[in-house]
Amino acid sequence: MAEKAILYDSTRCTACRGCQVACKQWNENDEVIPAPTDKYGVQANNWGSYENPPDLSPTTWLKMEFREIDPGGKVRWLFTRRACMHCTDAGCVKVCPSGALYHHESGFVTYDKDICTGCGYCIEACPFNVPRSDRNLITGIAKMDKCTFCTTPGLDRIAEGLEPACVKTCPPNALEYGDRDALVAEGKKRVEDLKAKGWTNANLYGENELGGLHVMYVLDDHPAVYGLPVDPKISATTIAWQDVIQPLGWAVGGLTILGLGLNYLVARANIHKEKEEKDATRS
Amino acid sequence: MQREVEKYRKPTRILHWIHAGAFVLLFLTGLVLFIPQLGIIAQDSWTRVIHRIAAVIFVIAPLIYIPMNWKATKRGIKDAFSWGADDIGWLQAAPRYYFLGDEQGMPPQGHMNTGQKMWWFIVIVFGVIFVITGAVMWFAKTTAPAAVLQWMVFVHDIAFIVTGAMLLLHIYLGVIHPLMTESWGAMVRGKVSAEYARKHHGKWYEEVTKGKEVKS
Repeated sequence: MAEKAILYDSTRCTACRGCQVACKQWNENDEVIPAPTDKYGVQANNWGSYENPPDLSPTTWLKMEFREIDPGGKVRWLFTRRACMHCTDAGCVKVCPSGALYHHESGFVTYDKDICTGCGYCIEACPFNVPRSDRNLITGIAKMDKCTFCTTPGLDRIAEGLEPACVKTCPPNALEYGDRDALVAEGKKRVEDLKAKGWTNANLYGENELGGLHVMYVLDDHPAVYGLPVDPKISATTIAWQDVIQPLGWAVGGLTILGLGLNYLVARANIHKEKEEKDATRS
Repeated sequence: MQREVEKYRKPTRILHWIHAGAFVLLFLTGLVLFIPQLGIIAQDSWTRVIHRIAAVIFVIAPLIYIPMNWKATKRGIKDAFSWGADDIGWLQAAPRYYFLGDEQGMPPQGHMNTGQKMWWFIVIVFGVIFVITGAVMWFAKTTAPAAVLQWMVFVHDIAFIVTGAMLLLHIYLGVIHPLMTESWGAMVRGKVSAEYARKHHGKWYEEVTKGKEVKS
């Protein structure tokens, strides 16, 4: 199956946050309107920005970020879509010990919430700081949540040939869904148009980052201006977990068991022999 | 009846079995992370809950034992960190002994032989490492920086591999190896035959017979 992707064009986005609402509605992530003392959800409060709630949460998989910058005294109001970037080299998939997180056949990262053990390794491994869990700090009981690319079981839009809810709802078509190759070509074309109009820093974010993201951004300025990590990497400890620690564990464990088995066979044979010799000399 | 000498006092045996039980639980619930196919039994965090309960027992048991058995603790710690020529001799002679049953060249051993001391040393050092890294992962899960938590996992896992392999060796020598006929009884009933003590722990046996022994 061809790889699918979402293309987000920040220059078309009006930050209406329709995607944020559609995401919640479709995925049945009813917002907990939390009291300040609640441990779940994220408290919605007025902090001088349209941006709300202040952070992603187990029930907020997508939120729009608002930034005000004033390069050369001219104020700009920038919008960024914040949700799972669906990496090809996904740190979360790499560390997930139970195999709950995996790559969908169309390339993006989804998960089986039923077998999530709540270890939280994905939260630590994500270069975009996206996964969230509702964690009981004493018992450790937790479940991870993040954008599923609308493949939540029972609510799977992709399997039905539909586009993700956020894309479907987007009024200015700032979000588009389709074959990744086609969207890369489209994104590059738009970047060229932006450059022609004088946006010299315009770029397509996500074409090559982490082996290629399945959510790509058309930006009119440097990614750092939009709060995106420049050249994101998954950490050495993320890679070490499956590529070093697990094989090392199996090698050491396996060799130990083999060695002990061998020792048992040799020692039993020799000690048996010695006894027989003793018995022979006695009789 | 054969004469017997006391090898492990009752509090030490109780601590051993409580700690061993907790550690086996910790080991098995941690092993799930190394066998992705077992992920299915870890769902809904329940192995992680058991891991935490066992961890509490793992920490509290020695904390109760130590002040109540201060002398034995001191001797135990001292033993773990005193290494000498007899230990090198033991290491050299051990392969022939454990594979061929050849006792020649085995230097006389104290209350713990060199191998037991190595395990005991690992239990102390890695026990502390486990508790520190585990406590950070448990209580600072939502506050510590991601990189710190990842390093804690890394160190915890290396400790798991080392102690896990040594645990297999420990169980093997305690219950399976054809020559270690009385070590199981030593930790269950607390006693070994005088003959076994003389052959396996010569230095200690001498102390016992001279009445100078400090019990542990």
